[in-house]
Amino acid sequence: MSVAVGRTSPRAQLGTQAPRIILGILGLVVVVWLAIKASQGGTTFIQVTLNGITTAALYFVVAAGFTLIFGLMRVVNMAHGSLYLFGGYVAYIAQTHWFGGGGSQFSLGGASTTSIAGFFVPLAFATLVIGLVGLGIQQLLLRWNQGQDLRQALITIAVSVIFADQMVAHYGGIVQSIQQPTSWPNSITIGALRYGFFRITVVLGSAIVIGVLLYLLFKHTRFGMTIRAGVDDRAMLSALGVNVQLVFAGAFFLGAMLAGFGGVLGGTMISVGPGLDTQFLLDALIVVIIGGMGSLVGAAIGALLLGLVQSYSAIYLHFGSLDLSNYGVMTSFILVIAVLAVRPLGLFGRAA
Amino acid sequence: MERLRRLPRGRLAVIPAVALCALWIAACGSSSSSTTKSAAASGTTTSSSGSKSAPANALKIGILSDCQGDFGAWYNSDIGGAQAYFIAHNGAKAKGPVPSDGITGGTIAGHPIDIVGYGCANDTAASALSEVRRLTEQDGAQVVIGPLSGDEGIAVANYSKTQPGKTFINGTSGAQDTTLKVRSPNFFRYNGDGAQWSAGVGDYAYKKLGWRNAVVVMDDYAFGWTSAAGFIADFCADGGTVTRVYPPLGTTDYSSYISQIPQKYDGLFSAVGGAGLLDFLKQYVQARGNFKKNTLAGNIFLGDPATIAAVHASDAGAVEGTSTNEDTTSPNASAYIAALKKAYPAKTNSLPAPGTLAGLASSVFTVNYYVAAWALDKALTAVHGDLSNGQAALHAALAKTALPDAPYGPVTLDENRQAIITNYIAQVSGTGVRTIYKVPGVTQTFGGTFSPTTPSPGRGQPVCQKRSLPWQGKEQAVSFH
Repeated sequence: MSVAVGRTSPRAQLGTQAPRIILGILGLVVVVWLAIKASQGGTTFIQVTLNGITTAALYFVVAAGFTLIFGLMRVVNMAHGSLYLFGGYVAYIAQTHWFGGGGSQFSLGGASTTSIAGFFVPLAFATLVIGLVGLGIQQLLLRWNQGQDLRQALITIAVSVIFADQMVAHYGGIVQSIQQPTSWPNSITIGALRYGFFRITVVLGSAIVIGVLLYLLFKHTRFGMTIRAGVDDRAMLSALGVNVQLVFAGAFFLGAMLAGFGGVLGGTMISVGPGLDTQFLLDALIVVIIGGMGSLVGAAIGALLLGLVQSYSAIYLHFGSLDLSNYGVMTSFILVIAVLAVRPLGLFGRAA
Repeated sequence: MERLRRLPRGRLAVIPAVALCALWIAACGSSSSSTTKSAAASGTTTSSSGSKSAPANALKIGILSDCQGDFGAWYNSDIGGAQAYFIAHNGAKAKGPVPSDGITGGTIAGHPIDIVGYGCANDTAASALSEVRRLTEQDGAQVVIGPLSGDEGIAVANYSKTQPGKTFINGTSGAQDTTLKVRSPNFFRYNGDGAQWSAGVGDYAYKKLGWRNAVVVMDDYAFGWTSAAGFIADFCADGGTVTRVYPPLGTTDYSSYISQIPQKYDGLFSAVGGAGLLDFLKQYVQARGNFKKNTLAGNIFLGDPATIAAVHASDAGAVEGTSTNEDTTSPNASAYIAALKKAYPAKTNSLPAPGTLAGLASSVFTVNYYVAAWALDKALTAVHGDLSNGQAALHAALAKTALPDAPYGPVTLDENRQAIITNYIAQVSGTGVRTIYKVPGVTQTFGGTFSPTTPSPGRGQPVCQKRSLPWQGKEQAVSFH
């Protein structure tokens, strides 16, 4: 940073500083506003914050796979949302067929029970299946278009459209949900605060574990080192005798697995249904654009920012009698614009 | 050097932008195409078999429902309701155990019945419009029974004005504007709107349950607003105050909206429908714990047979506004249930739990389509099958058609071709629905509260104020036990 500043003229420095100052003021206003709201209703504020954090956890799981694939292979995998949703459906079908649980929304609290295995076996199965599906997409469709970013993006869009229609045709248009084990509590209570058990333990816990594991994988294994090297310079890595194709396949498999895993978590925490594929693809895109494409830390920070902004804007856009909560959806994009205005490559993005 | 380094950088920045643009295109493409795809996949476009063999004087009927979205689960209840009438009274026969398998045979006033297709919408106006166009303009339906959902009803009623030579009989959609504002001469609704289905509940909550401030959670679309409007008009008429929360229809994650509900309130009225109701109640209980006794009320969805089994844990003693009685043993209701049983005796996965059409008899989705078919039969018979002159005779007859023997109470139409109904207040529990009060003669206008010139029900409408309503304090106690 100090080197960069040294190289820049004072005037240019002021030019780059202006958006930062504006953004800083904007951020400060938001923080003050939230502080006022927090002081007015502490429990509600904590709940809303937890909503944001748990949603962010789900975004992170999905976006981590997305950013991994992009960072290494420069493939904007537009079928990532489809893999997410398909993962949810695979787990749902596995749960209904093998364990008799699952069931539509119309069996909430119904007679059927779900064992611990009745949740985890479909979870593992779906994760693996989606990993293999992702691998298939990479090997059959993307491998022979390597280096042609736009063509690959278009191919994956085609895949996502085909997937979306096939899923509606086979699983119907009705929203379903995967059941958590019946023995788990619905919610946990800490003092005056009551919160959904699955959201705060399983979803948030998974995101943290996955984050730590991915970090260790990248920093302390040979595979991770190869991936990092590949992110920086693919040609050089290849020239050094590393089988780049194998690394690509591994990364795509891992990235798709994360999408599938996220789909099962999302299908249990919320639901599985048509349209969620594009919704989560859009969310994943926003997360990695904010965080910087290819950066794991960026995905975590981006997910947290997006989750919190969405959560707060759904509640706190009431100013006296003025209700702006309808415009809450715009805040995600304001966030993207604000970040890109200051850091065009995202918070942790680096030029290739 | 600098140039070289910038090149990939610029290109990289383009990718997300292109991706975002492409995503929108992909999203739009997939949503519009998925409607037709799924219709084809689930065998709903049955235009071919029926119409080709149909004789020249066949009456071509299209049935419009939802097979996707929040209410997609009731697709076969709707179709089954209408077709069970034709099977029981017009000599038609079911082609299979699932209603969407189709029917054969049957005549109405000498016209052989020809079901030209089933419309598969997804609770949006756009999907209902494209499906009703397909049924009328491509498949040649002369009569459309449907749609299911509020926004769809307004769209179809408006569309019916462009098709003056055809007849549209509402399925079960319940937005107020459909008949009170649009007032299409060839659109007929033999069921109450959402507000009529809530009549009496607010008064009951204020006087009998002692609520003074209520939270009203409503789906943010025409039916949710109308349904809430009925409760708010009643409750505020007595002097109650309301806080309104309006999650969009199709919300799956209700956590943010639950956070908007004040910690302290006397009661909560739910105008959340379909799949969303279960998500909402499940997540409410997770966030706030079970409802205390006598603090939950809701619209028709709370006591629908498809949802009742699912929500029992959280709403013991909940109060529901409804136009049907699950617990009645009246001859009219019994005859209707027998007709459903005879037409579709088998249990099927295509229907929501309990899985039989008769088990879903008291669902508005079944009975309102049945009643629509009944009205068509009665009116067309009254004019001896006269479809000439742009179905003018049929339209005139439908406007005058009353159904005094309708399953759950007599139905007559007002000057806007909107039903005047008997509404009920019922208690919902794990074992079923117990009807406790009835409110006869509920009109769409609520004794002048609503009119073609008053603002449409919405997020902030009607305004919460004291007023006088025809049934205030005059609900009649009933018991079927």
